[in-house]
Amino acid sequence: MTPLEATLIAFVLVTAVATALFRDVLSAIIVFGAYSLGMAIIYTLLLAPDVAMTEAAISAGVTTILLLLTIAKTVRPPTDELFESVNVPALIAVGAFALVLGAAVLPEIPAVGDPDAIAWANPEVTGYYLQNTYADTGVQNSVAAVLAAYRGFDTFGEAVVVFGAAVAVLLVLHREVFA
Amino acid sequence: MSAPDTGGDSYTESQVIMSTVKIVTPFVLTYGLFVTFHGADTPGGGFQGGAIIGVVILMLAFAFGIEPTRDWLANSTVIGLIAGGVVAFAGIGVATMLLGGAFLEYRLLPIPDPVRYGMEGIEILGVAAIVSGTVIGLFFVTAAGFTAETTARPERSRVGTSEGDQPRIRGDTDTEGDD
Repeated sequence: MTPLEATLIAFVLVTAVATALFRDVLSAIIVFGAYSLGMAIIYTLLLAPDVAMTEAAISAGVTTILLLLTIAKTVRPPTDELFESVNVPALIAVGAFALVLGAAVLPEIPAVGDPDAIAWANPEVTGYYLQNTYADTGVQNSVAAVLAAYRGFDTFGEAVVVFGAAVAVLLVLHREVFA
Repeated sequence: MSAPDTGGDSYTESQVIMSTVKIVTPFVLTYGLFVTFHGADTPGGGFQGGAIIGVVILMLAFAFGIEPTRDWLANSTVIGLIAGGVVAFAGIGVATMLLGGAFLEYRLLPIPDPVRYGMEGIEILGVAAIVSGTVIGLFFVTAAGFTAETTARPERSRVGTSEGDQPRIRGDTDTEGDD
Protein backbone atom coordinates (compact mmCIF):
# COMPACT_ATOMS: atom_id res chain seq x y z
CA MET A 1 0.00 0.00 0.00
CA THR A 2 1.54 3.24 -1.14
CA PRO A 3 1.15 6.47 0.89
CA LEU A 4 -1.20 7.78 -1.82
CA GLU A 5 -3.51 4.79 -1.47
CA ALA A 6 -3.47 5.01 2.31
CA THR A 7 -4.30 8.71 2.17
CA LEU A 8 -7.16 8.11 -0.26
CA ILE A 9 -8.66 5.31 1.83
CA ALA A 10 -8.48 7.47 4.94
CA PHE A 11 -10.07 10.34 3.00
CA VAL A 12 -12.92 8.16 1.78
CA LEU A 13 -13.57 6.79 5.25
CA VAL A 14 -13.57 10.26 6.82
CA THR A 15 -15.89 11.72 4.19
CA ALA A 16 -18.27 8.77 4.46
CA VAL A 17 -18.52 9.15 8.25
CA ALA A 18 -18.87 12.93 7.88
CA THR A 19 -21.71 12.46 5.39
CA ALA A 20 -23.56 10.44 7.98
CA LEU A 21 -22.77 12.79 10.87
CA PHE A 22 -23.22 16.29 9.43
CA ARG A 23 -26.47 17.82 10.58
CA ASP A 24 -26.66 20.44 7.85
CA VAL A 25 -27.98 18.93 4.63
CA LEU A 26 -25.88 21.14 2.36
CA SER A 27 -22.67 20.18 4.16
CA ALA A 28 -23.57 16.50 3.89
CA ILE A 29 -24.16 16.82 0.13
CA ILE A 30 -20.83 18.57 -0.45
CA VAL A 31 -18.93 16.01 1.61
CA PHE A 32 -20.74 13.23 -0.26
CA GLY A 33 -19.50 14.70 -3.54
CA ALA A 34 -15.95 14.70 -2.15
CA TYR A 35 -16.42 11.05 -1.14
CA SER A 36 -17.42 10.16 -4.70
CA LEU A 37 -14.37 11.94 -6.06
CA GLY A 38 -12.11 9.98 -3.72
CA MET A 39 -13.76 6.72 -4.80
CA ALA A 40 -13.19 7.65 -8.45
CA ILE A 41 -9.47 8.13 -7.82
CA ILE A 42 -9.32 4.80 -5.96
CA TYR A 43 -10.94 3.05 -8.92
CA THR A 44 -8.33 4.63 -11.17
CA LEU A 45 -5.54 3.30 -8.95
CA LEU A 46 -7.18 -0.14 -9.08
CA LEU A 47 -6.83 0.01 -12.90
CA ALA A 48 -10.58 0.30 -13.54
CA PRO A 49 -10.75 3.56 -15.51
CA ASP A 50 -14.20 2.87 -16.97
CA VAL A 51 -15.69 2.49 -13.51
CA ALA A 52 -13.78 5.56 -12.32
CA MET A 53 -15.22 7.70 -15.11
CA THR A 54 -18.73 6.53 -14.30
CA GLU A 55 -18.24 7.29 -10.62
CA ALA A 56 -16.88 10.75 -11.36
CA ALA A 57 -19.54 11.68 -13.92
CA ILE A 58 -22.64 10.19 -12.33
CA SER A 59 -21.92 10.13 -8.62
CA ALA A 60 -19.73 13.18 -8.09
CA GLY A 61 -21.42 15.23 -10.82
CA VAL A 62 -25.04 14.46 -11.59
CA THR A 63 -26.04 13.10 -8.17
CA THR A 64 -24.61 16.13 -6.37
CA ILE A 65 -26.43 18.51 -8.71
CA LEU A 66 -29.74 16.69 -8.30
CA LEU A 67 -29.39 16.65 -4.51
CA LEU A 68 -28.56 20.38 -4.47
CA LEU A 69 -31.61 21.08 -6.63
CA THR A 70 -33.72 19.03 -4.25
CA ILE A 71 -32.78 21.07 -1.20
CA ALA A 72 -33.20 24.26 -3.24
CA LYS A 73 -36.76 23.15 -4.02
CA THR A 74 -37.64 21.90 -0.54
CA VAL A 75 -36.53 23.16 2.85
CA ARG A 76 -33.14 23.30 4.47
CA PRO A 77 -33.85 23.17 8.17
CA PRO A 78 -31.64 25.59 10.11
CA THR A 79 -29.39 23.96 12.64
CA ASP A 80 -27.22 25.24 15.46
CA GLU A 81 -25.26 22.03 15.93
CA LEU A 82 -22.58 20.89 13.53
CA PHE A 83 -23.05 17.15 13.95
CA GLU A 84 -25.92 14.83 14.58
CA SER A 85 -26.23 13.58 18.13
CA VAL A 86 -24.81 10.08 18.21
CA ASN A 87 -26.74 7.24 19.76
CA VAL A 88 -23.97 5.54 21.76
CA PRO A 89 -25.47 2.01 22.12
CA ALA A 90 -26.28 1.93 18.42
CA LEU A 91 -22.79 3.18 17.62
CA ILE A 92 -21.25 0.42 19.73
CA ALA A 93 -23.42 -2.23 18.10
CA VAL A 94 -22.74 -1.05 14.56
CA GLY A 95 -19.04 -0.58 15.30
CA ALA A 96 -18.73 -4.10 16.67
CA PHE A 97 -20.57 -5.46 13.64
CA ALA A 98 -18.28 -3.57 11.28
CA LEU A 99 -15.19 -4.76 13.19
CA VAL A 100 -16.24 -8.42 13.07
CA LEU A 101 -17.17 -8.12 9.40
CA GLY A 102 -13.91 -6.38 8.57
CA ALA A 103 -11.81 -8.88 10.50
CA ALA A 104 -13.57 -11.72 8.69
CA VAL A 105 -13.59 -10.29 5.19
CA LEU A 106 -10.53 -8.08 4.76
CA PRO A 107 -7.86 -10.81 5.10
CA GLU A 108 -9.71 -12.86 2.48
CA ILE A 109 -9.62 -10.15 -0.20
CA PRO A 110 -6.82 -10.93 -2.66
CA ALA A 111 -4.15 -8.34 -3.34
CA VAL A 112 -4.39 -6.20 -6.45
CA GLY A 113 -2.91 -8.15 -9.35
CA ASP A 114 -2.78 -11.42 -7.41
CA PRO A 115 -2.62 -14.26 -9.99
CA ASP A 116 -4.57 -16.51 -7.58
CA ALA A 117 -7.41 -14.02 -7.20
CA ILE A 118 -10.95 -15.32 -7.32
CA ALA A 119 -11.57 -13.46 -10.58
CA TRP A 120 -9.33 -16.06 -12.17
CA ALA A 121 -11.35 -18.93 -10.75
CA ASN A 122 -12.71 -19.32 -14.27
CA PRO A 123 -9.54 -18.57 -16.24
CA GLU A 124 -10.77 -19.95 -19.53
CA VAL A 125 -13.59 -17.36 -19.69
CA THR A 126 -11.63 -14.33 -18.46
CA GLY A 127 -8.59 -15.29 -20.46
CA TYR A 128 -10.69 -15.82 -23.57
CA TYR A 129 -11.99 -12.25 -23.43
CA LEU A 130 -8.55 -10.76 -22.83
CA GLN A 131 -6.87 -12.79 -25.55
CA ASN A 132 -9.49 -12.70 -28.29
CA THR A 133 -11.11 -9.26 -27.94
CA TYR A 134 -9.00 -7.62 -30.61
CA ALA A 135 -9.19 -10.55 -33.01
CA ASP A 136 -12.96 -10.92 -32.64
CA THR A 137 -14.09 -7.32 -32.59
CA GLY A 138 -11.21 -5.09 -33.66
CA VAL A 139 -11.51 -2.79 -30.63
CA GLN A 140 -8.82 -2.39 -28.01
CA ASN A 141 -10.95 -1.79 -24.91
CA SER A 142 -11.85 -5.22 -23.54
CA VAL A 143 -14.48 -3.72 -21.25
CA ALA A 144 -16.26 -2.10 -24.17
CA ALA A 145 -16.03 -5.32 -26.14
CA VAL A 146 -17.59 -7.38 -23.34
CA LEU A 147 -20.33 -4.77 -22.84
CA ALA A 148 -21.26 -4.15 -26.44
CA ALA A 149 -20.35 -7.37 -28.25
CA TYR A 150 -20.01 -10.44 -26.01
CA ARG A 151 -22.75 -9.32 -23.62
CA GLY A 152 -24.70 -7.03 -25.92
CA PHE A 153 -28.08 -8.38 -24.91
CA ASP A 154 -27.40 -7.65 -21.22
CA THR A 155 -26.37 -4.11 -22.16
CA PHE A 156 -29.63 -3.71 -24.06
CA GLY A 157 -31.47 -4.64 -20.88
CA GLU A 158 -29.45 -2.10 -18.88
CA ALA A 159 -30.16 0.63 -21.40
CA VAL A 160 -33.87 -0.12 -21.21
CA VAL A 161 -33.64 0.06 -17.41
CA VAL A 162 -32.35 3.64 -17.66
CA PHE A 163 -35.18 4.42 -20.09
CA GLY A 164 -37.61 2.86 -17.64
CA ALA A 165 -36.25 4.99 -14.81
CA ALA A 166 -36.98 8.15 -16.79
CA VAL A 167 -40.50 6.92 -17.56
CA ALA A 168 -41.07 5.94 -13.94
CA VAL A 169 -40.15 9.43 -12.71
CA LEU A 170 -42.72 10.97 -15.06
CA LEU A 171 -45.28 8.41 -13.97
CA VAL A 172 -44.79 9.07 -10.26
CA LEU A 173 -45.00 12.83 -10.78
CA HIS A 174 -48.13 12.59 -12.98
CA ARG A 175 -46.39 14.45 -15.76
CA GLU A 176 -46.21 13.94 -19.47
CA VAL A 177 -43.26 16.24 -20.16
CA PHE A 178 -39.87 16.83 -18.55
CA ALA A 179 -40.85 20.28 -17.35
CA MET B 1 -25.10 29.64 -1.98
CA SER B 2 -25.18 32.76 0.16
CA ALA B 3 -28.82 33.67 0.54
CA PRO B 4 -31.07 31.06 2.12
CA ASP B 5 -33.30 29.44 -0.42
CA THR B 6 -36.97 30.22 -0.16
CA GLY B 7 -38.11 27.34 -2.32
CA GLY B 8 -38.74 29.61 -5.29
CA ASP B 9 -36.56 30.17 -8.30
CA SER B 10 -33.12 30.35 -6.72
CA TYR B 11 -31.38 31.65 -9.84
CA THR B 12 -28.96 34.53 -9.37
CA GLU B 13 -27.22 36.05 -12.37
CA SER B 14 -23.53 35.75 -11.61
CA GLN B 15 -21.02 37.19 -14.05
CA VAL B 16 -18.32 34.85 -12.75
CA ILE B 17 -20.35 31.70 -13.31
CA MET B 18 -21.59 32.87 -16.71
CA SER B 19 -18.08 33.68 -17.95
CA THR B 20 -16.68 30.43 -16.62
CA VAL B 21 -19.41 28.33 -18.20
CA LYS B 22 -19.04 30.15 -21.52
CA ILE B 23 -15.36 29.25 -21.59
CA VAL B 24 -15.54 25.73 -20.18
CA THR B 25 -18.65 24.36 -21.90
CA PRO B 26 -17.16 23.78 -25.39
CA PHE B 27 -14.31 21.80 -23.89
CA VAL B 28 -16.59 19.72 -21.70
CA LEU B 29 -18.85 18.96 -24.67
CA THR B 30 -15.82 18.01 -26.77
CA TYR B 31 -14.54 15.75 -24.02
CA GLY B 32 -17.93 14.09 -23.65
CA LEU B 33 -18.09 13.44 -27.38
CA PHE B 34 -14.52 12.11 -27.33
CA VAL B 35 -15.29 9.71 -24.47
CA THR B 36 -18.40 8.56 -26.33
CA PHE B 37 -16.88 8.14 -29.78
CA HIS B 38 -13.52 6.81 -28.62
CA GLY B 39 -14.83 4.48 -25.93
CA ALA B 40 -14.05 1.37 -27.92
CA ASP B 41 -10.30 1.90 -27.75
CA THR B 42 -9.83 4.05 -24.64
CA PRO B 43 -11.58 4.07 -21.27
CA GLY B 44 -15.08 5.38 -21.40
CA GLY B 45 -18.01 4.63 -23.63
CA GLY B 46 -21.58 5.54 -24.22
CA PHE B 47 -22.65 5.66 -20.58
CA GLN B 48 -19.87 7.91 -19.32
CA GLY B 49 -19.86 10.10 -22.42
CA GLY B 50 -23.62 10.50 -22.33
CA ALA B 51 -23.46 11.61 -18.71
CA ILE B 52 -20.81 14.23 -19.53
CA ILE B 53 -22.83 15.51 -22.50
CA GLY B 54 -25.87 15.79 -20.28
CA VAL B 55 -23.89 17.73 -17.67
CA VAL B 56 -23.13 20.37 -20.33
CA ILE B 57 -26.83 21.27 -20.41
CA LEU B 58 -26.91 21.31 -16.61
CA MET B 59 -23.98 23.75 -16.53
CA LEU B 60 -25.72 26.03 -19.02
CA ALA B 61 -28.87 25.93 -16.93
CA PHE B 62 -26.98 26.82 -13.77
CA ALA B 63 -25.30 29.76 -15.46
CA PHE B 64 -28.13 31.22 -17.53
CA GLY B 65 -31.22 30.12 -15.63
CA ILE B 66 -33.21 26.92 -15.72
CA GLU B 67 -36.35 28.36 -17.30
CA PRO B 68 -34.57 29.89 -20.35
CA THR B 69 -32.70 26.64 -20.84
CA ARG B 70 -35.93 24.70 -20.73
CA ASP B 71 -37.49 27.03 -23.30
CA TRP B 72 -34.41 26.74 -25.51
CA LEU B 73 -34.21 22.94 -25.36
CA ALA B 74 -37.55 21.62 -26.52
CA ASN B 75 -39.07 18.91 -24.38
CA SER B 76 -39.50 16.76 -27.47
CA THR B 77 -35.70 16.77 -27.84
CA VAL B 78 -35.22 15.19 -24.43
CA ILE B 79 -37.92 12.60 -24.95
CA GLY B 80 -36.64 11.99 -28.46
CA LEU B 81 -33.15 11.31 -27.10
CA ILE B 82 -34.40 8.82 -24.53
CA ALA B 83 -36.88 6.97 -26.72
CA GLY B 84 -34.77 7.27 -29.85
CA GLY B 85 -31.83 5.69 -28.06
CA VAL B 86 -33.87 2.63 -27.15
CA VAL B 87 -35.25 2.42 -30.69
CA ALA B 88 -31.77 2.75 -32.24
CA PHE B 89 -30.29 0.09 -29.96
CA ALA B 90 -33.15 -2.32 -30.58
CA GLY B 91 -33.13 -1.44 -34.28
CA ILE B 92 -29.51 -2.49 -34.75
CA GLY B 93 -30.23 -5.71 -32.87
CA VAL B 94 -33.32 -6.50 -34.88
CA ALA B 95 -31.58 -5.57 -38.14
CA THR B 96 -29.01 -8.32 -37.63
CA MET B 97 -31.86 -10.71 -36.89
CA LEU B 98 -33.58 -9.74 -40.13
CA LEU B 99 -30.29 -10.36 -41.91
CA GLY B 100 -30.48 -13.94 -40.70
CA GLY B 101 -28.34 -13.87 -37.57
CA ALA B 102 -28.77 -13.51 -33.85
CA PHE B 103 -29.59 -10.36 -31.86
CA LEU B 104 -26.65 -7.93 -32.25
CA GLU B 105 -24.62 -10.27 -34.47
CA TYR B 106 -22.70 -7.35 -35.90
CA ARG B 107 -20.67 -9.18 -38.51
CA LEU B 108 -23.75 -9.43 -40.75
CA LEU B 109 -24.21 -5.67 -41.05
CA PRO B 110 -23.63 -4.42 -44.60
CA ILE B 111 -21.06 -1.79 -43.61
CA PRO B 112 -17.24 -1.80 -43.66
CA ASP B 113 -15.69 -3.12 -40.43
CA PRO B 114 -19.16 -4.17 -39.21
CA VAL B 115 -18.32 -5.46 -35.72
CA ARG B 116 -16.47 -2.32 -34.72
CA TYR B 117 -18.99 0.14 -36.12
CA GLY B 118 -21.93 -1.90 -34.90
CA MET B 119 -20.56 -1.61 -31.38
CA GLU B 120 -19.92 2.11 -31.86
CA GLY B 121 -23.48 2.41 -33.16
CA ILE B 122 -25.14 1.00 -30.07
CA GLU B 123 -22.79 2.90 -27.77
CA ILE B 124 -23.30 6.27 -29.49
CA LEU B 125 -26.82 6.13 -30.90
CA GLY B 126 -28.20 3.95 -28.13
CA VAL B 127 -26.60 4.18 -24.70
CA ALA B 128 -25.18 7.71 -24.93
CA ALA B 129 -28.50 9.12 -26.17
CA ILE B 130 -30.50 7.38 -23.43
CA VAL B 131 -28.17 8.44 -20.61
CA SER B 132 -27.77 12.07 -21.72
CA GLY B 133 -31.52 12.44 -22.23
CA THR B 134 -32.26 10.89 -18.84
CA VAL B 135 -29.79 13.16 -17.05
CA ILE B 136 -31.26 16.27 -18.68
CA GLY B 137 -34.81 15.13 -18.10
CA LEU B 138 -34.30 14.31 -14.42
CA PHE B 139 -32.67 17.71 -13.97
CA PHE B 140 -35.62 19.54 -15.49
CA VAL B 141 -38.17 17.51 -13.56
CA THR B 142 -36.34 18.11 -10.28
CA ALA B 143 -35.94 21.81 -11.04
CA ALA B 144 -39.63 22.18 -11.83
CA GLY B 145 -40.46 21.15 -8.30
CA PHE B 146 -43.41 19.19 -7.09
CA THR B 147 -46.50 20.82 -5.73
CA ALA B 148 -50.09 19.70 -5.38
CA GLU B 149 -51.22 21.96 -8.24
CA THR B 150 -48.77 20.59 -10.79
CA THR B 151 -49.86 17.06 -10.10
CA ALA B 152 -53.63 17.47 -9.92
CA ARG B 153 -55.11 14.16 -10.86
CA PRO B 154 -57.62 14.13 -13.65
CA GLU B 155 -61.20 13.65 -12.51
CA ARG B 156 -62.08 10.02 -12.44
CA SER B 157 -65.19 8.08 -11.84
CA ARG B 158 -65.07 7.22 -8.22
CA VAL B 159 -65.72 3.52 -8.01
CA GLY B 160 -65.49 1.68 -4.75
CA THR B 161 -64.61 4.69 -2.64
CA SER B 162 -66.25 3.13 0.36
CA GLU B 163 -66.60 -0.49 1.16
CA GLY B 164 -69.98 -2.07 0.56
CA ASP B 165 -70.83 0.64 -1.92
CA GLN B 166 -73.22 -0.38 -4.61
CA PRO B 167 -71.85 0.25 -8.05
CA ARG B 168 -73.59 3.34 -9.37
CA ILE B 169 -75.68 2.90 -12.42
CA ARG B 170 -75.67 6.54 -13.42
CA GLY B 171 -71.94 6.61 -14.05
CA ASP B 172 -69.76 9.20 -12.39
CA THR B 173 -72.16 11.79 -11.13
CA ASP B 174 -70.41 13.94 -8.62
CA THR B 175 -73.45 14.48 -6.43
CA GLU B 176 -72.97 13.15 -2.97
CA GLY B 177 -75.43 12.12 -0.31
CA ASP B 178 -78.49 11.22 -2.36
CA ASP B 179 -79.14 7.94 -0.61
